[in-house]
Amino acid sequence: MDGGTSRDELLQRITMMEAMIAEGRAFTLKCGWIFVLWGLVDLTAMGWRYLMPHSHFAGHWAWPVCLAIGAVITVTGRMVQRRSERSKSMRCHHVEAVWNMMGVALALFVAGGIASGLSWQNSYIAGILMLVGMAHAISAVILRWRFQGFVAVVWWVGGVAAFWARSWSHVNWIMFVEMCVGMIAFGLYAMVMERRAHE
Amino acid sequence: MSEELPELNPVVHGKLRLAVLSLLIAVEEADFTWLKQKTGSTDGNLGAQMLKLEEAGYVSMEKRFAGRKPQTMYRMTEKGREALAGYVAALKRLLGGHFQ
Repeated sequence: MDGGTSRDELLQRITMMEAMIAEGRAFTLKCGWIFVLWGLVDLTAMGWRYLMPHSHFAGHWAWPVCLAIGAVITVTGRMVQRRSERSKSMRCHHVEAVWNMMGVALALFVAGGIASGLSWQNSYIAGILMLVGMAHAISAVILRWRFQGFVAVVWWVGGVAAFWARSWSHVNWIMFVEMCVGMIAFGLYAMVMERRAHE
Repeated sequence: MSEELPELNPVVHGKLRLAVLSLLIAVEEADFTWLKQKTGSTDGNLGAQMLKLEEAGYVSMEKRFAGRKPQTMYRMTEKGREALAGYVAALKRLLGGHFQ
């Protein structure tokens, strides 16, 4: 340390370090649109089957087609976003990892359920809702975002309720509420928050 | 100040270099333009300081393309994390009760 470094200069260094660390930690991921997208994808698949209950094609392909389209749009959209990202905080990295791996687990779970013909069971739907709720919960802990923690609880309540659904109509209602609240409403709220943070 | 006080790492102690290391400790990676924007530095000055940090082994640099635009990405190395941690420890000893 040279003789010219005063106590004030060192304190200024600390203040500057704290400010820079805070800048680096800022959550810059813009992902609200992904939740809105998947809410719409799922509602589309549900609506397609509801409106064409006797269609063999809708019965077998509504969900695979809609999910595949959703996956393509998500991957493409993220690739475009990544090109403009100039930094990625560790928190963004951690949250992305949670959702990417949840997506992989969900894709395998859904594919297995559809391929085995067991996707009609209440436990299958409960499993999906629990997985998504878990991702929300982990995200909420990382970001210390209480609102997302509340959304996780909404998903988990839906997952538990699915076990007690007496008919497939009840299950569909649970799914409908989860998509509207847990996906679309949450996604829109996240987009508003992201916009405010970047203004 | 007392003669028994610890030495501050001169590479880390430079104001702009310290700002860059503080930014990089919180991110997985960052590009040159982002670092320039956050530090309010010029191209030439930041480039020179990044080179010193690279030569000291505190950051690694990767050139790639984002679409057709070239992008220079920086990450902190393990050696850089240790150097910054050592600098912070030295600051604590120097400043005693003022350091949180």
